[in-house]
Amino acid sequence: MTDAAVTLTGISKRYGAVVANDSVDLVLRRGSVHAVMGENGAGKSTLMSILFGLTEPDAGTIEVGGVERRFRGPADAIAAGLGMVHQHFRLFDSMSVAENVVYGAEPTRGALLDRRAAAERVRELSDRYGLGLDPDANVGRLSAGVRQRVEIVKALHREAEILILDEPSAVLTPDEVTSLFSVIRRAADAGTTVVLVTHKIQEVLAISDEVTVLRAGRVSGRFATAEVTGPQLIEAMTGRDVVPVSNAGARELGGIALSVDRATVVEQGITRLDDVSLTVRTGEIVGVAGVSGNGQHELVEAVLGAVALTSGTVEIAGTDVSSLDVRRRRLAGLAVIPEDRRGEGTAVTMTTAENITAGHHRSAPISGSGLAKGWLKRRAQREEATRLMADYDVRAESDQSLVGALSGGNAQKVVVARELSHGAPVLIAEQPTQGVDVGAIESIHTRLLEYRDAGRAVLLVSHEITELQALADRVVVLFAGRLVAEFSRAEATTARIGAAMTGGVTSGSGDAPEGRTA
Amino acid sequence: MQVFELSFVAAVLLAATPVLYAALAGALSAQVGVFNIALEGQMLWGAFAAVAGSYITGSAWAGLLIAILTTALFSVILAVGSAAWKADPIIIAIGTNLLALGLTGFLMRVLFDVSGSFAPRGLQGLDKMSFLRDVPVIGDIFAGQTPLVPLAFVFVAAAGIWLKATSNGLRLRGVGEHPEASATLGVNVVAYKTWVTIVGGALCGMAGAQLSLGNVTVFTENMTAGRGWIAVAAVMLVAGRPLWLPVACLGFGAAEAFGFRLQGLGAPQQLTDAAPYAITLLVLVATRIPWTGSRAARRRTAEPANAVLEDK
Amino acid sequence: MSAPTTERTSRRLLASAVRHPAVVPVGAVILALLVGAAIVAAAGLDPVAAYVAVIEGAFDPRSLDYTVSVWAFICGMGLAAAIPLRMGEFNLGGNGQLVLGGLAAALVARVSPLPGPLTVLLALLAAAALAGAFGALSAPLATRLRIPIIISTLLLSPVAVAVVSFLVRYPLGEPGAAVAQTERLPDAAHLMSLPGLTYSNIGVIIIIAIMVAFYVVDSRTAVGFELRITGANRRFGTYAGIHTGRLAFGAMAAAGAAAGIVGAIIVMSPPYRLIDGALLSPGYTFAGLAAALLAGGRPALLPVTAALFAVLQVGGASMERSADVPRQLSDVLQGVVIIVLALRTVIDARRTGRAG
Repeated sequence: MTDAAVTLTGISKRYGAVVANDSVDLVLRRGSVHAVMGENGAGKSTLMSILFGLTEPDAGTIEVGGVERRFRGPADAIAAGLGMVHQHFRLFDSMSVAENVVYGAEPTRGALLDRRAAAERVRELSDRYGLGLDPDANVGRLSAGVRQRVEIVKALHREAEILILDEPSAVLTPDEVTSLFSVIRRAADAGTTVVLVTHKIQEVLAISDEVTVLRAGRVSGRFATAEVTGPQLIEAMTGRDVVPVSNAGARELGGIALSVDRATVVEQGITRLDDVSLTVRTGEIVGVAGVSGNGQHELVEAVLGAVALTSGTVEIAGTDVSSLDVRRRRLAGLAVIPEDRRGEGTAVTMTTAENITAGHHRSAPISGSGLAKGWLKRRAQREEATRLMADYDVRAESDQSLVGALSGGNAQKVVVARELSHGAPVLIAEQPTQGVDVGAIESIHTRLLEYRDAGRAVLLVSHEITELQALADRVVVLFAGRLVAEFSRAEATTARIGAAMTGGVTSGSGDAPEGRTA
Repeated sequence: MQVFELSFVAAVLLAATPVLYAALAGALSAQVGVFNIALEGQMLWGAFAAVAGSYITGSAWAGLLIAILTTALFSVILAVGSAAWKADPIIIAIGTNLLALGLTGFLMRVLFDVSGSFAPRGLQGLDKMSFLRDVPVIGDIFAGQTPLVPLAFVFVAAAGIWLKATSNGLRLRGVGEHPEASATLGVNVVAYKTWVTIVGGALCGMAGAQLSLGNVTVFTENMTAGRGWIAVAAVMLVAGRPLWLPVACLGFGAAEAFGFRLQGLGAPQQLTDAAPYAITLLVLVATRIPWTGSRAARRRTAEPANAVLEDK
Repeated sequence: MSAPTTERTSRRLLASAVRHPAVVPVGAVILALLVGAAIVAAAGLDPVAAYVAVIEGAFDPRSLDYTVSVWAFICGMGLAAAIPLRMGEFNLGGNGQLVLGGLAAALVARVSPLPGPLTVLLALLAAAALAGAFGALSAPLATRLRIPIIISTLLLSPVAVAVVSFLVRYPLGEPGAAVAQTERLPDAAHLMSLPGLTYSNIGVIIIIAIMVAFYVVDSRTAVGFELRITGANRRFGTYAGIHTGRLAFGAMAAAGAAAGIVGAIIVMSPPYRLIDGALLSPGYTFAGLAAALLAGGRPALLPVTAALFAVLQVGGASMERSADVPRQLSDVLQGVVIIVLALRTVIDARRTGRAG
């Protein structure tokens, strides 16, 4: 079987000094499911952007169906029969499913949009692949799993013969993943070539026919899935035997450092966080699991004070901070590593020194005291920054380098340094290793464990079950804004957490989550 | 008595029309995600170009055409600057507003050797629909108006239907809501933004022409006097629902016409001048107050709205 | 040193020169002057003569003093725009804040029983308070009701202008005067003049002092740091514990106060009256806004960019007299400078390529 749907040859792409792809070859067999694996920063996204015409390669050729193509934009790629489902959905929330599907390739009747034909098309495709979509539903109200199916139908509507799925399981519950896999199978059996971009080994083994592994921009392995094992894939991905950082277990638990009691957040009539209670003791890492968008971010913002609680209370280090603003909560002993580094964690147009000290600029050594209160000591600020950059191994030309010029890992270290260096009794880390390289992940994990061992409380929000299993002493699960389960370290198996993430199943021991903190 | 009331309706329509054209321009720009605060300057340029065009060609309709074309051309700065070059539309708009103010004054001096206002003898205004004179009610309202007055409402309705019912309208809405999504589906986002902004320019040209050749037959320096800003507020008020624009603009028209009435009754002009702004702001405030919901919910938005992020 | 090395060095020097922060504003000004020249030439007039007249007019030793006072007023209104701009907000309500300042000063001067310097001080404080409160009104509208500051300032401003205009014409107007104006302020409310100068008085010193204060606050204090953080990334500011709503309140109050003080200074200078329209007709508000935008809100650059617009404004009048070029050219140039400045993104895009 040498029936290649797509052949990429010698693809190279560099961004400044960073080589994202280095003569990558990739052959996609027609009707197969081909997994493209690699860690964050291995070059998967760049390769897929090139394949879909979002980025032009510096060198290399793309052949689709044996014909060499040059894609100047996604429109060219779509015309050549490619379709892509992005990790972050690209849907119009205000529009219906049918409108989203036909957008850009609309059936028309005269000058008008043919709504009936559009709805018919959605129904037909939905039936053929067993997707169960309602063409008239408003996309903004759909769950992540259904939204993803809308994305798939979008590509199918354009008669895509090659379907690229970028980290499709990231936003899905385990059940939804299973049904996604059956859709993928059905599409492949119907002759569609599916590219599955992922870093999850289980998924690769479960669904793919072939695997290409990328490491640091190069192909580090090519396998037929039937002949490869998990450890082999790990080795190809990381180039070494990974000894993941792992939690040796909490030593002694102290008193309650963070207590959230019956917290509820209602926004524009939608309940985002529903009667959530949890506590974190000093010397403990409590993990918060859940599919993205089930209230984790609202929980973080409610504890921080960036979102006001509709009802309930938050206590930090024994102080009721429910009615305090962000600054006072931080003073009461809270540090937060935000989820979105560029959105909330840094100001990319400001210097590293300014970023690494922001928020601590009203206290010593950066601010004066007494009469000089409120004055900024700029030399002290730079010295403090230089010290922190050394301590946390932030690699930048100088403390005056703009954060926007740093790599993702270094920028994240700026955030970590700023939040950890002041020893706040309570730390919230929301997706602290998102989009950073392996080395930085390891260093951040180590830091979090050390932080706990120093007798502080950590609330770790992550969408990666493995990250929670590696670090957390206890795992709670959020589903639809409610705390639905709680597991001790020993109970926190993937199966149990996964089941709870769908909201269907209760916790490993009993169903009174708040009752088990002692 | 009835005549009095109908003439008031006519006055409301007259005051509302230029603002409605400009607000339609702003609403269309908002649909493609361009925060357009250049309406004031574009309308001012349109008013000048209409008068200059009418004076030079001797035809008010040629003046209207010149206003439409040159204002569209003028809006290319904003269109290309914000869409293709990704510049801040607010800063460009502040610049083009100043430019329009300076350039109209400058050209009035250079071309016609007058300052302040320009109303040469024989300057042609746009024709009124006097053929309606004998139709009851309609005649009372529209006989003294230019065709641009009813046309404005037709335009708004047409735009509303077009946005909803055509494939281009669908694409246009998508470009504003999620440009990356549109781009990945092969829709040329930059082209949509550019052309919609330029069409907005043409509409502002009509707004200006109606103001200087319809409402009156004269150009005076800074004659738009903030109407473009009222239009921006109207766009915010309707929040992406263009079919509500006439309501907002008629409200403004009523405030202006009512103020005019009050002036006739002896109220000081300064205070009636301020009324449309004060009322617009009050209505804006009233629509934004969360009348329902807990105090906590109100407290939670303790962060100033940023103009750039607000309402696309 | 080998030839390629020299070439590389010179190229690197060129690249770093192009990146210098002053390049953009200077480039914008040069381009705007060229556009202005083209417009003047297209109108059949002599651009060289026009610009020469501008320079001669502005730097004529006899009126240099006047240029300095215009510069100070543009600086003052520039502050009203620059302070909010530092946190990413646009204050377009300078006119209203300016006239309210003038009104407050005129009212205080009328009733104050205090001796000279105290009356002046009281008038300045009242102007700052009234105009500051008026400016600050926009902050809660943005914070609570999500009405952008740029919109609320624009809608509020004409209301204030109309109210002041009404007051000057009727309740506070000088009976029997041909123009709407208050009576001449009592001597106690006349600003001290500077030795040997006609137009510039102590008001210039006051405005310079406010600018220095803004510079110090911006670069040396926690509040200034917070302003800059918020301007760079508002969400980041919120997460760092900055109360952005309160900051906006303070920035708008300070902006309004700066504009109000300018209004008070103008009223307490010759002819010592609040005259309807006289505060607005010179166009200090938009010249100040243009200066603030050109300076990117940076306090150290504001005096420089304000000087440019002061020269254009003062020189514009003499250009009209001696080169017969309408003075509206100054407004045209202001507009063009801002447009060119905004469009600099083209160069930035070229410079950084498509990385990321």
